[in-house]
Amino acid sequence: MIVSHNEIVTMVNKAFLGMQREVGEADLIASMVAELQMAGLNGIKHFNNASPFILSERDMPIDIVHQAEGEVSLDLHGSSLVCHLPVVMDYALEKMGNREHFRIYLKNCHNRWLAYSELVKLAAKGIACLAKWDNGSAPKHTVFTLDKRFVYPDIYYFNDAQDNYNTNDMVIELATFNFDSEQDIQGFDHKISTDELYATHQRAWRQGIYVDDEQWATLKKSAAAILVEDNETSSKGAGGV
Amino acid sequence: MQHSPSVNDKPSDNMPVNDKLDAVSFRTPDVVMHSQRLGAMHQTRISFVRSLLRKIDKESWALNVHLWDLDKNGFGQVIYRLQTPEHIYHLVVFCNQIADEERNDRVIAQKWDVTFALVYGEISDELLANLKANVPLQEAGRNSNMVMVLARANKSVRVFDHVVSALADGQQPDLEVLAQVGYILRTTAVYGNGKFGIFDFKPLDHSEDFNQSFRAQMCAVYLLREFSLDWVDYLAKQKGGDKAVSLHPEIKRYLGIGNATGLGMAPYLINHPCVVDQWLTAREGALQAVLVCDIEPDKVPQFTTLMNRAIQHFSEVVTINEPQIALNSTVVDELTSLENNLTAELEACTTWADFLQRNDHLSFESQEVIISCMMELYPKRVDAFGEQVNADESLSLPSGKVVQDLIDVLEARYQWAINIDFEAEDNIYWFWYRSEDKEEPRMGIRGQEHGDDKEFLLDIGRQANTLYLALQQANPQQLISEFILGQPKYRSIARRVWTMGHKQMGDIQINVLQKTALPMHLLRCKLSMFGATKFDPRSDRWVRVTLFQGAPLFHEIHSDEWLFPLLPKINELPTLPLTPTMED
Repeated sequence: MIVSHNEIVTMVNKAFLGMQREVGEADLIASMVAELQMAGLNGIKHFNNASPFILSERDMPIDIVHQAEGEVSLDLHGSSLVCHLPVVMDYALEKMGNREHFRIYLKNCHNRWLAYSELVKLAAKGIACLAKWDNGSAPKHTVFTLDKRFVYPDIYYFNDAQDNYNTNDMVIELATFNFDSEQDIQGFDHKISTDELYATHQRAWRQGIYVDDEQWATLKKSAAAILVEDNETSSKGAGGV
Repeated sequence: MQHSPSVNDKPSDNMPVNDKLDAVSFRTPDVVMHSQRLGAMHQTRISFVRSLLRKIDKESWALNVHLWDLDKNGFGQVIYRLQTPEHIYHLVVFCNQIADEERNDRVIAQKWDVTFALVYGEISDELLANLKANVPLQEAGRNSNMVMVLARANKSVRVFDHVVSALADGQQPDLEVLAQVGYILRTTAVYGNGKFGIFDFKPLDHSEDFNQSFRAQMCAVYLLREFSLDWVDYLAKQKGGDKAVSLHPEIKRYLGIGNATGLGMAPYLINHPCVVDQWLTAREGALQAVLVCDIEPDKVPQFTTLMNRAIQHFSEVVTINEPQIALNSTVVDELTSLENNLTAELEACTTWADFLQRNDHLSFESQEVIISCMMELYPKRVDAFGEQVNADESLSLPSGKVVQDLIDVLEARYQWAINIDFEAEDNIYWFWYRSEDKEEPRMGIRGQEHGDDKEFLLDIGRQANTLYLALQQANPQQLISEFILGQPKYRSIARRVWTMGHKQMGDIQINVLQKTALPMHLLRCKLSMFGATKFDPRSDRWVRVTLFQGAPLFHEIHSDEWLFPLLPKINELPTLPLTPTMED
């Protein structure tokens, strides 16, 4: 089915609020999902997959496990990235300061695709980004490269794991210069270019956003958790006419 | 290909500037954003209905009937074609027969007298069939993304029947009956911005026609007003034949479109703080551009005329709401008293700021009438502010700032929140939630009604208060980003406080949980920005208003003011033949 951007934002917002987490910002998470869906990268499916993690995780801060000049390593304790990434990015940009390069290593996190919109925002700040992660299922390795002059990244898919780090980890590198990613993308199996993402995005605004019916139904069900049962007393709570 | 990062803000050199804005220091955010004052606002020159009509006039938009397919009882479909310099749009209207007991203004209604859509571009047979199948269903339908506005309206049955009967009998309607209501049709929801699968607002960034907040919705309502007037003429002809007359243009101008608004509008104002700040900042910019002007003698006659019109308007407004009756009566009394001594009052002041401040003992409603009248005097200084109603809605935290910086913002801009005792029951009396019944927003009493575990988080005051307490426990020199890393649950309210605390007007100053808080103030603020008149509260959570009452008709559109509509003089009205458009 075809939906609008505002519908996705509204629906995800309600769904996240219905999960009643203290940590995580509904408006930002809604934007993460909508942007990924507009890019044709299954944002709603990723959010639906994230929902069980978000529901079961404890509202606790993440830990700094290592910090050195130009890098930080954080443990997310198996949480979904969506609830913590904006906090991580604020912290990392602060620590990066005037440095040309900064490296963030995230341990034990889920739903890394949903990092997309937070990383894409970096270009507007004049920062280039290289992000990569291994995964237990296909694609086994993904590389995201954002040129600081562009709004959309290039994304590279690999059929085999490349870096041999934990499949629940993610590396995000930030720089004031554009990355020479030749080595990181060597041997990729599939690529979605910045031009393709731009075209998909523009098409989504013009023609609406394609969403899988089942995924939409799952999201709607999650969004209904925030609604309160109707009864005679409740009906008067609208003030009547 | 290089795709440049988007830039939301328009170039600053396109903005009207006023280097004397700081000269009127008494209009602080604490004054302007006080909820009671917002709840007393009226239409001004920069209200959306006013800027829309100026645009239509300036750009010579054209409207004609594209399809008139109604049966003798007025049921069927009608299409209007709107041509702008940039594009073509259509208003597609479906008129359905419903039982009286099905006519309900709440969102929980399932049927309406009229459903309609403003559609981008041409209407193919396939699209018309799709619209016919879905528009009458409203929320339950699934519409094409060529639909920019999806809306519905109910008849004011008493006015509708009376107008049609009178015209069919060759008579003009009784103005006393019209004065009770002020419209033939009353919208109960006007959806835009991607709701239920329709066109998103974002791609309209590049539209010269509808790139402003709510302009497409206002345009759809204005065109519906044209339809409502054509509709009664058509039905009168069907009923009365040769005996029938057309509704007099003066009466047509007096009839607007009603709107019933409930609690659903209140969350919008809380959840879109940057938009509200932008609206009020633009309005304040326009006002201050006037306030710094000296009171010149040539402006006094127009100001006097407008004040007199306001007095008559508030004398004529009919409402069943006792508090509103009292407020209107106070306006009439206060402004009559001021009017009796206006020349001397004005002579005692150098600038309009002096005059406004001299009258700050009046009720908020009266002060706001004065503001609306003042703004009419300086179109060249004011009108450009009407184009500054869009906002970048991002809320963010800064780099390089420490906890004390955030405390400073709270103490400077959120006194209204940090001073509230949220342990006191009365300050957390209400909780807001959405019902399973079409997600209708409702309020419940905490501890007495079911549902507070699913509370809708509109408690900005409480959240700001909690943040303030947490910050006071932290090291004042700790970086904000470090504080948030350890206490991530505060990030949402922290970025709101930081962002809104640095805006010109900032957040609306209301604790919506408080026992005596009136959601009506929020509704009134937004409706007056739209340009509504005749506020008629039906309870403390519902209000009926009119839009475009007193506005010129489409074929005679002009850029002059039509503030505070008045009843036409019935004895001066001749009867006229039906317009040719509706005779076929």
